[in-house]
Amino acid sequence: MPSLSTVSDWGFASELDDVGGEVAIVGIGDADYSKASGRTTYEIAAQATERALADAGLTPRDIDGVMYVPFSGDQFDGRAFHAHFGTSHDLWVSDKGGGMVWAGSAPYDAALAIRSGRASCILNTFSVAWATQRSQMVGGPGHVHAEDLYKQNLEVPFGWFPQPVYFATIARRHMYEFGTTPEQLGAIAVACRRHASLTPGAVMRDKPLTLADYLRSPLIADPFRKEDCCLISDGGAAYIMTSLERARDLRQPIVAVLGVGVGNSRTGAYWSQQGAFTSTPQVFAAPGAFTMAGIRPADVDVLACYDPFTIVSLMQIEDMGFCRKGEGGSFVAGDALHFDAGTLPYNTHGGMLSHAYVLGIAHVVEIVRQLRHRAAAQVPDAAIGIYGGYTGPQASTLILGRH
Amino acid sequence: MHADFPLPDVSWEPTREFWAGAARGELRIPRCDACARYVWYPETPCRRCGGTRLTWSTVGGRGRLFSWVVVHYAWIPQLSDRLPFVTGLVALDEDPAVRLATYVVDCVPDRLRCDLPVRVVFRPLRFPGVAREVVAPLFAPGEA
Repeated sequence: MPSLSTVSDWGFASELDDVGGEVAIVGIGDADYSKASGRTTYEIAAQATERALADAGLTPRDIDGVMYVPFSGDQFDGRAFHAHFGTSHDLWVSDKGGGMVWAGSAPYDAALAIRSGRASCILNTFSVAWATQRSQMVGGPGHVHAEDLYKQNLEVPFGWFPQPVYFATIARRHMYEFGTTPEQLGAIAVACRRHASLTPGAVMRDKPLTLADYLRSPLIADPFRKEDCCLISDGGAAYIMTSLERARDLRQPIVAVLGVGVGNSRTGAYWSQQGAFTSTPQVFAAPGAFTMAGIRPADVDVLACYDPFTIVSLMQIEDMGFCRKGEGGSFVAGDALHFDAGTLPYNTHGGMLSHAYVLGIAHVVEIVRQLRHRAAAQVPDAAIGIYGGYTGPQASTLILGRH
Repeated sequence: MHADFPLPDVSWEPTREFWAGAARGELRIPRCDACARYVWYPETPCRRCGGTRLTWSTVGGRGRLFSWVVVHYAWIPQLSDRLPFVTGLVALDEDPAVRLATYVVDCVPDRLRCDLPVRVVFRPLRFPGVAREVVAPLFAPGEA
């Protein structure tokens, strides 16, 4: 019997006010998703913002709040917003937006800003140009980890670097503790690829993948194959939030923020030392979000999780309570995650494995589209959708509902 | 990034004693003065009790292979000539919550399993294009 690496005090939930039902997402915009394109993060975010404004039927002057994250190139902060649109009005600006965990928690901070009158109509954007910047150690996803001095001195010299190695180590331990199989991880990759094949603009739209293809693919960081790992892309997206009251006057079906939760790991981005090695801080994020929304996992029609690797999808599905810990492998097997299988439609745009690696912002856009009933791989009658955000140090749970 | 990357910077204070110990053939891990627990990575305050002082101690060098990866792709270009290699985490017998990143050496990768007993061996790390070498604690299967 393997020893389990789970402990209960390895992280904690952030204390959040109840903001359920206060704000809605009223505009969404995708930038073009691509491999290396020569575009800058600024250009990408500006395109996504223009499309989100058009979607919402708003003008740049209607936006009085801008959220971004100071990360990965020039993000679309207040100065960039004004420079692009030629505006100069007062803006509430927050650096607690962007992608990853913040794509899920930005609506919480937006709700507080709207409640207190600091802003009424808030834009959140995130963009990356990592395909253009592609160089493993400079500007790419490994960069921030290579710069960390503990990692530089205690991990990198031993070849324990970068993220594919971290998460392949976690996957191996998950396989050992719970009997998770390559076929089960492959089922996640196959579901995401099928969804990408149906989604206009998905980077891997024309690259079908079967489970047999997955199992034939060479191991690059055994137990991981290339197909277990996310893409490297250029792209980004934006969404616009306002009060539920104001949303009623706008043109789109109302998608309300029902619940938000944030969880934290006490070991930050040192995955090697995380107490519960085969878990994510969703353990701490999800319960509060479900309580705020007044729903249970069984009520959820569609789920999108930040998915840098297949195992991160599997762990978040477990940690959010869609199945018991350790049973994620059998839960995701076969076609359970496919949009039309009736179990748990998952990353219905293809996720970061097959749609684009834009760090979660496109996941939120996809959930909104599902709840408007306008997705490409539409889940019939979808009424409640969740985005699970993740960075390692933190996770977020964003519960959205068709109003 | 320092000039000898991906070698460690053995003069960096927080991990200086770890590397100095390895050069002497000792595996050194700090303990918290307040709660006596091993603290890894070596940073304060202590995650468990908030203690602010650490004292380095020598451990026996035995542990269990917590998990591992067989790497077939050179994410670090200087490692391309050693592909494939086995890297992973070893949980120390003294406190399994202390996990050391390390190479697993003298092994048949197909015979590795999680929780396999392993023991420390000290070997120089050398990388192409880097003149210096640094002795590091690596781990090999075996109870000895």
